[in-house]
Amino acid sequence: MTLAADGRRGVAGPAVDAGAATAEAAPSGYVGIITRAIAFAADAAVIQFVAILVAGTGALILSVINPSDDSRTVLAVVAAGVYGLWLIGYFVLFWSATGQTPGNRLLEIRVCRARDGAPPSAGQAVVRFVGLILAAIPLFLGFLPILLDDRRRGMHDMLAGTVVLSAPR
Amino acid sequence: MRARVESAIYTCGSVAAAAARPLVRRVNGTALAALDAALDSRLATDVVDRFAASALAERALSGALKGPLVEAVARDLVRYKVADRLLSEGLIEQTTARVLEGPELERVVEAALESPTVERLIQSTIESRLVDQAVLRLLESDDLWLLVEEIARSPAVTDAIASQSVGFADQVADGVRGRSRVADAWVETRARRLLRRAPAQPPGSEAQ
Repeated sequence: MTLAADGRRGVAGPAVDAGAATAEAAPSGYVGIITRAIAFAADAAVIQFVAILVAGTGALILSVINPSDDSRTVLAVVAAGVYGLWLIGYFVLFWSATGQTPGNRLLEIRVCRARDGAPPSAGQAVVRFVGLILAAIPLFLGFLPILLDDRRRGMHDMLAGTVVLSAPR
Repeated sequence: MRARVESAIYTCGSVAAAAARPLVRRVNGTALAALDAALDSRLATDVVDRFAASALAERALSGALKGPLVEAVARDLVRYKVADRLLSEGLIEQTTARVLEGPELERVVEAALESPTVERLIQSTIESRLVDQAVLRLLESDDLWLLVEEIARSPAVTDAIASQSVGFADQVADGVRGRSRVADAWVETRARRLLRRAPAQPPGSEAQ
């Protein structure tokens, strides 16, 4: 059974309209690397905008309080931890709740479990996020399978057992 | 004796008058019928037309307007409350309604608008300094800008702008989505050719 065929949870079947010239490389419903990269960039923009807003506010407050150097170090560590939690939490929460981050929603794509089309569990979402980072470390080679796999899965998708499908509103 | 004569004369006169009354009535009727016929005749129409076109009519009208007739007519109009009577009888309303509803006014307005004179008049009005000054004054007035602000703040306008913005954002997003899907397929095709891999499975046959 294919996810493209079952159409569960609003997941689209044949949604790729790439034109006749490129149809040979367009598996139905599975979303390719460019669309996913744009969605990820949109998510990164949201994440960094919020982070910069919070960090700017914190920096302004600290400029008035003027803490000691030790306190600054502790605060930097705490801030890094909060940023990490925000980063992981953003993806894990959105993927496990609806399968769609804001960037995915913009591009009308959805992360689904490969076996049944449901949104990934929290554990799968964490694994997918870790896999995403691991895929990026060797010069983004971990994303190369998206270009070659019939279901357009990257290394992180394979690790988490997920696929990314087109989900038009 | 004298009284008897007077009585006899009175009696004779009464009898003669009674005898002549039908005759007089008939003569009156005939005379009126003759007058009606004369008034309905072509000759009467021609006479009136000629008189109206004549210098005599012009002089007569001029003399009447020059003389005390106008003042007398105005005094009588006021004295007999002509305007009040007309208003109370609804004649003005009826006349106005008839004029407004009738096709004559429309024809007159159409003819006036199509006439070169009106066109020239409008052209000269537009080109005159009066319009520029009016526009300048309008732009300088605070009331205008208050009105503009009120309109700009109105829910209808803000809703329209919001929906336009959302529509534009949707259009941009649609464009990005469409192009990104094309780019996906293009990049994949090139990558597969480069790595000498078979093209992707056609829709419906994958992962069975």
